[in-house]
Amino acid sequence: MCNRVITLCYRKIIAHNPRTAWEKMVFEDSHAEYRMQVQRFDPDGRCARFSELVRQVPESRQLHFLVSTSVANYLKQLQDLVPDVLDNLGRRFLHFKTYRFEIIDSAIHDPRIHRVSISFISEPLWWLDTIGEYVLLAEPSDATTGPLPTKLFKLPPYVSINFIQYPKCDD
Amino acid sequence: MERKKFLKSLSLFAVATPSVLASCKKDTGVDDVYAGTDVEIDGSCVVSPPETEGPFPTKSPSSLERSNIIDGKTGAKMSANITVVNSNSDCIPVEGAIVDIWHCDVDGNYSQYGNTQMQRTDFTDVYFFRGRQVSDGQGLVTFQTIFPGWYQSRATHIHVHIFNSSGKSLLVTQIAFPDDLSATVNSTGAAYGYTKGMSGYTYNARDNVFHDSVSRQMSTITGSLATGFDLSITIRVNA
Repeated sequence: MCNRVITLCYRKIIAHNPRTAWEKMVFEDSHAEYRMQVQRFDPDGRCARFSELVRQVPESRQLHFLVSTSVANYLKQLQDLVPDVLDNLGRRFLHFKTYRFEIIDSAIHDPRIHRVSISFISEPLWWLDTIGEYVLLAEPSDATTGPLPTKLFKLPPYVSINFIQYPKCDD
Repeated sequence: MERKKFLKSLSLFAVATPSVLASCKKDTGVDDVYAGTDVEIDGSCVVSPPETEGPFPTKSPSSLERSNIIDGKTGAKMSANITVVNSNSDCIPVEGAIVDIWHCDVDGNYSQYGNTQMQRTDFTDVYFFRGRQVSDGQGLVTFQTIFPGWYQSRATHIHVHIFNSSGKSLLVTQIAFPDDLSATVNSTGAAYGYTKGMSGYTYNARDNVFHDSVSRQMSTITGSLATGFDLSITIRVNA
């Protein structure tokens, strides 16, 4: 087969008004971990907000990684399946093995400021065709005969094509 | 019991714990294009059925909360025994202290995925040599790890961050290693992954962190490359 290969990125934002139990746990535990870890970079609590702290103390960017430890087990609970992003049949279909956790902003004393994002990077997909507003996708396969299972999908907000590779179509 | 205590300690602001009862339910609607029989297409204007949230969430501890922090990495095995005592109270043991440690691998690299590029990393592997334990009644925490490697401008060390049970930072410090032992491990431990040798190594006396206080941060270490090491240190905090 001679198809373009893409990966999709879904950036999920979790703020103080979580919609689901999973989001609520990610929100609470990441904020609790932030409150612990931020003390390493701002022991006297001089910076009220994370966005202020990273300007004053560049090393505090490590907090993205350090706080991610609090949500790693929640990511495992997703069992490699990207949340929220549905195909045209209303089913989750994107698989991921890579994600990136980031603190958008936070504050020790005000949970309403705490906002984080998780960018899920999908496993590679074949981009077979574009039908109107939809893209026709399939998981890469070595099979050369028989029908190929496909997914019809319309890119919603916060989902983007993250990577594309054009094949060499010599045959 | 320790885990329960730890989870409680992370509840830094009062919230209702979400129900975990749904965790036994099975997610049946995922990615199964061929399953089921033909159905009548819904041509109405009724809102489409939403997907289930699953796989169903359960309250989980930080990935740091574990005693074995090796994650399959190479190195000479080492048991790190850290006792936390209270300088404000005749150095009695501090129970319930949260102790975070982290150190580099045999090549001098730390685990972290926070690079600027979206690197392809399996997220289950990126927290090696990082751990968190809660001290027991004797103020003791124990980690199963390896003898750390070293990197430029630093002597062998382990980072430690100690919090009280409410998550308030009590002390950020580092554990020092005897120079001669670091030399032995890095010069003769190639079979265990220590291939850098000692060329360019920074000894404790020249280390910017340890040079003025190494005796107060020095650990006691027994054992050998073959049998593994036991590290012990008492860290004094103002609890």
